[in-house]
Amino acid sequence: MAESVKVLPQDIQEIIEVHEWDMRTREGVQRFRELKAKSLPSVALDSDLVYESLIPMQQELIDEILRRYKEKNQNE
Amino acid sequence: MAGETKTKRFIYPTQGVCPPEIHFKVNNGSLEEIRFVGGGCPGNAQLVARLLEGKPLTEALEYLVGIDCRNGTSCPDQLAAAVTSAKNGSLMPAESFRVHADVFDRCRVGLISAIEGNHVILEKLIQHMQASEIEACYCLGNLTGESDQNKDLIQKIRKHKIFAIQGANDWCYAQGQENKYLPPLEQKDRDWLLQLPQVLRFQMKQKKGIVFFGDYLQRLPDYSDFEPFALEMNMVCGLTNFMQDETVFPALEAMIPQFQADIIIFSQLKKWGHWHISGKDFISLGPASDANGVSWGQLEVADEKIEFKVMHAEYKGG
Repeated sequence: MAESVKVLPQDIQEIIEVHEWDMRTREGVQRFRELKAKSLPSVALDSDLVYESLIPMQQELIDEILRRYKEKNQNE
Repeated sequence: MAGETKTKRFIYPTQGVCPPEIHFKVNNGSLEEIRFVGGGCPGNAQLVARLLEGKPLTEALEYLVGIDCRNGTSCPDQLAAAVTSAKNGSLMPAESFRVHADVFDRCRVGLISAIEGNHVILEKLIQHMQASEIEACYCLGNLTGESDQNKDLIQKIRKHKIFAIQGANDWCYAQGQENKYLPPLEQKDRDWLLQLPQVLRFQMKQKKGIVFFGDYLQRLPDYSDFEPFALEMNMVCGLTNFMQDETVFPALEAMIPQFQADIIIFSQLKKWGHWHISGKDFISLGPASDANGVSWGQLEVADEKIEFKVMHAEYKGG
């Protein structure tokens, strides 16, 4: 999962903060439960569980990041 | 303790490198079983471990110092810091939880939990188990409880040479931190509880099993998420709430390939249960007694499959 984030374009990388949680750890399990996720892999954006059981295609992920980014900046 | 080795286990929290921890052992001044855990390049890490296996600490340090990777340090540099800390005593040996092994390959074992100081019930259970030709008895915690018979219970366990592990109450007694509802216990019984393991591992044909009480182990000092069997415990205790939350079983299935154990037995909830998921058996033990009688779990292997049964016997007294 982290690899698919690392290969995102630089302009996308600059507007996101990436956290990868290791499910082997207590911290990772706690975060998993906080997000109310049920399966792996899971991807959350701004603490919203957006993708479960799959790794999204790169363009789909970029589009969703940009959509949220624009929404946040319009509201500010 | 008779037979205790001079090997000390260390867990070093790293700084500035990919693996968050380095685990290693020092045996009579030499390095053993180095593991860079939780990240980093596994290939190079394994090579470092192989090359340094058995090397005296001073000699190992000559290879490790002065290597830079990023953040002004490197994995070898962090290992050098770890070894130096172990040498000068600033890094204490890790003993977050003790694992003992039943070294015999078993076909049928008996499982008891939540005996909580009731030695009369224990005697009844042993009699019932003997009639079922059990090869070994594993007694999970809590061994002690709000009972004035805790001492008698301990004596009985020792007399029958039962494999016993610490529950949360037992650990508290051992540390001198029991709550006010638990009656006093003599120091020699506390010392006996202190020496008990927290985890027992066993073998049934091709299946490896572990037995533990519950989540107090995760709160022990120096508990590492990367210790042997910590993953199994984290998944049972934290992810699935002792297998009570079936909605997260898909996530559990994704993690199971990383398990070392095939049979995972626990007792904290005091509820009977058996789940077979992706080739692994998860077993929750219920209490040793209730209003109707005594209960224990029978675990056996037949045709390479694990069979688990809850065995009951009527008993009104005790």
